[in-house]
Amino acid sequence: MASRTVIEPGQSIPSVTKAITEKSILGFESTGILNLENIHNNPELAAERLGTTYTLASGRMSITFATECLRKFFGPEVFNHTGTVNLKFLRPVKAGDTITVTGAVSGSEDIDEGTRVSVDIFCDNQDGNRTAIGIGTAIIK
Amino acid sequence: MAEPELKIFSYETIEIGEELGSYDYILTQKMVDAFRTSVDDPDASFPTLGVKHDATAFAMVYTDPIGTVNAGNEVEFFNPPIVGKKIIVKGRVADKYLRRDKPYIVIEATATDEDGRLLEKLSTYQLKKPDELGKKWHPEQ
Repeated sequence: MASRTVIEPGQSIPSVTKAITEKSILGFESTGILNLENIHNNPELAAERLGTTYTLASGRMSITFATECLRKFFGPEVFNHTGTVNLKFLRPVKAGDTITVTGAVSGSEDIDEGTRVSVDIFCDNQDGNRTAIGIGTAIIK
Repeated sequence: MAEPELKIFSYETIEIGEELGSYDYILTQKMVDAFRTSVDDPDASFPTLGVKHDATAFAMVYTDPIGTVNAGNEVEFFNPPIVGKKIIVKGRVADKYLRRDKPYIVIEATATDEDGRLLEKLSTYQLKKPDELGKKWHPEQ
């Protein structure tokens, strides 16, 4: 997608819906370089530290999903060089969940480099519960 | 060469501004493929998110028997990493604070590649009392 030059308040960004599986959780963890056991790949550690009967998906997976939405909205030439994502995690995400990320333009600000556009970001699971909330930004010319 | 001895994490003694040192690794196509598959996004541009630069920097210095829960992430993107390039990461402890009597630390990492391109800056808000969240998620226990 070409970079957007006309962006309006309230405008929705492309949403993504992701099925979370044991395989995707472990695949994400396998990208790391230390091969550490943690609450994402070791059920016993998750039980010991959190009291859960399941491992958790890394919150960074939701960061990545939000990044995909924002990249599709602003275009990679803009977002990959000026983008930011800031998410607060509210609920655990686990295998079997389906996470939908949505967002809408919340404001803009003229700065020296161009216009910084802000987007409210929401992550919700299949039950309609909010799992994360935050803001993404990018700078358009 | 012997591995450096890890320090045992203590909220009381860790210092704001404490440097976590630097490390480097080569980004491989295998890592990129594993990351993109795990997040179901063939165009995902920052597989570095799966490497968890800040948490990795922390884990290279500290061992933490209590564990942690990621309460939030902030990430800034500057340039996508390139397969085959060496990525250099520097980490530090950006902050620590108590909120509702729960201890948090903020760790951050900055990544550049071997050509000096700035790639991303990443921060994580870590709750250093994960059992508290477990109780919140499972109040009946």
